[in-house]
Amino acid sequence: MKKLTAAFLVTVMCIGLTACGGQSEEPAESEETDAAAEEQTEEAAPEDKGTLMMATTTSTEDTGLLDYLQPLFKEDTGWDLEWTAVGTGEALAMGESGDVDVVLVHAKSSEEEFVAEGYGVERFPVMYNDFIVVGPSSPIEKTDDINAVFTQIINDQLPFVSRGDDSGTDKKEKGIWEELGLDPATDPNYVESGQGMGATITMADEQQAYCLTDRGTWLKQSQDATLDYQLDIVCEGNDSLLNQYGVIAVNPEKYPEVNNEGANDFIEWICSDEVQKLIGEYGVEEYGQALFTPNAGTDA
Amino acid sequence: MKITDLEKKIGTFRLQIDHLVIESGRIHGIIGPNGCGKTVLLKTLAGIYTPDRGTIDYEGISPREITMLSQRPYLMDTSVYKNLVYPLQVRHMRPEEEKVDALLEKAGLLAQKKQYARSLSSGERQKLSFLRAVIFHPKLVMIDETFSNLDPESEALFMEMIRKIQEEDPITWIIVSHQLEAVRQLCEVIHHMEKGSVVEL
Amino acid sequence: MLEWLKSVVSDPDILSAVRVTFTMAVCSTGIASVLGITFGLMLERFRFPGKKIVIRLNRTLMGSPPVVVGLIVYLLLMRRGPLGPLSLLFTIQGMVIAQTMIITPIICGMIYSYLRRSAPSIREFAVTMGATRWQTTRLIIRELRKEIYFCMVTGFGRSISEVGAVMLVGGNIRGRTRTMTTTISLLKSQGIFTEGVALGILLLLMAFVLQWICDMLQREEMEHENY
Repeated sequence: MKKLTAAFLVTVMCIGLTACGGQSEEPAESEETDAAAEEQTEEAAPEDKGTLMMATTTSTEDTGLLDYLQPLFKEDTGWDLEWTAVGTGEALAMGESGDVDVVLVHAKSSEEEFVAEGYGVERFPVMYNDFIVVGPSSPIEKTDDINAVFTQIINDQLPFVSRGDDSGTDKKEKGIWEELGLDPATDPNYVESGQGMGATITMADEQQAYCLTDRGTWLKQSQDATLDYQLDIVCEGNDSLLNQYGVIAVNPEKYPEVNNEGANDFIEWICSDEVQKLIGEYGVEEYGQALFTPNAGTDA
Repeated sequence: MKITDLEKKIGTFRLQIDHLVIESGRIHGIIGPNGCGKTVLLKTLAGIYTPDRGTIDYEGISPREITMLSQRPYLMDTSVYKNLVYPLQVRHMRPEEEKVDALLEKAGLLAQKKQYARSLSSGERQKLSFLRAVIFHPKLVMIDETFSNLDPESEALFMEMIRKIQEEDPITWIIVSHQLEAVRQLCEVIHHMEKGSVVEL
Repeated sequence: MLEWLKSVVSDPDILSAVRVTFTMAVCSTGIASVLGITFGLMLERFRFPGKKIVIRLNRTLMGSPPVVVGLIVYLLLMRRGPLGPLSLLFTIQGMVIAQTMIITPIICGMIYSYLRRSAPSIREFAVTMGATRWQTTRLIIRELRKEIYFCMVTGFGRSISEVGAVMLVGGNIRGRTRTMTTTISLLKSQGIFTEGVALGILLLLMAFVLQWICDMLQREEMEHENY
């Protein structure tokens, strides 16, 4: 009933508008225009549904992806997407306390745990980007062997800035050390910034140190920075450096007040072929390469 | 002490003293209506104000031998004793305990020696500041209206102390007061002031 | 509760944050007090052209957002900045510089307003007592010691509670420039609230102890001064 009323109102408005504009133009076409406008408007501006609150990682905001997707999402579904960009740890904590409706993060094992503990409904893979190591081009020469780079950093006691904030990137970095059986604390030049990716890259540039970052943040930061970074990519292209993003709706059985309808709409929308294609194209124009690779529907 | 052509402007007020002689070793009184410039004159003589024009010939009295008792004396944020010996401290002089005690005794302040100075009553404050002004044997003491707020007993005490000092080693006093009676009793020379100038009657 | 507080207090990261916070706050309050009191005294004592502008500037700086000061200091100290060769960015010294720039105008402004109120009468008194210029200045400082303590405690309080500038200039480096406030900020970003709250309580406790010490000092001095 509501929908019908809305459609009716929209139609009336369209007729009115066209009528006003039509007077000076050709009245003969007005009937056709009416019909077209009616159709278009119903598709372009569905009823305003309210707000969907998302917790996500800093990388999705820093790269500008969310700013790009938000108006499209509103247009397609009528939901106002709002988000808070924090570390993966905090984003999941916000989901655990029912403060948000949906989370978009990148730390697969933590995400699976989040679902297993009943806080999330189900995890859907969305896209990935990759991690790279940036730093001065000497003494480390560019390679795709992440293990060699990390080993050299410890052996030669090279400066390295870690985020140390329990974020997805931080977890990734800690995982690499662990896999290699290395303890970064033995390097006196290894420091933890406890800050976001952008601040950490800036610090690495200041200290002429190495750091692990996601490619998207690096591309955007190095393009936007007032002073050019004196850092290069010293390691990229290794499969183990892929950074998978997942989206999870917060469980309405646990928190009945969450906007589950909006969360499901968002998941369905972001995993749709159309939006996946948009994600794959995002950044190509500005940075010469895509910042994210879509992979919804896979088991990543 | 000779004052010639002295001029000092404070806001719209103008002090103008063409000629005034203060004989040393005597007690001078200055009387006059409110706002006639008595305080400005004293502050100028004390070196608080610098004159705009004119000369003051102190005739050998150095600035450090001059002191002045304000209408509302300033008491330091410390004990009675420390307040009393401050002028000695400034001159790097060691206070002699017996003399200090005797002085306090005479003024009836010995019991309050260690007390916080700002907790004294207004009469006691006046007495303390009087003692503090004379403890370092100045050559010129100026008293601004202090007598106006005193009870008869303290007034008598002040007069007695001034007389005693004059008997032993006369110094110069300039006393400003409304209380004609007190001034007449004590002062040897009396000047009248009106509208910023000294007038002869 | 007590066990929990104990475990928090014995955590090396937290101990280090407390140490960094204190080193920074003590140094910056010390330097800012010397500078602020000197400037305040000079501002009250001397007349010079442009004095009104200086006072207005000082008032503006009193309320300047710490993060802006942090940014300026960052730009000065960065590798490619004018003071880059000193390598002070991301060090406690760098944080002290930023904090000093934040606190000095506060102390100077507070002292100046106290002085304007009470220095003229103290100065008149000092003249009648025959005090020299230097003795007069010392007397003014002594007479205003309670106000000076208060300014210093205010400065110290500002220093331990500030986040923006120390985050920018210090870089929140674990074990080196991570203060109590930036630790709280980091813990929050990790979604860990218990330790953050514990640190917050610790900070409040410090403010309380500080206030109390200040009170004690004043009282003791009073008793001491009685003779």
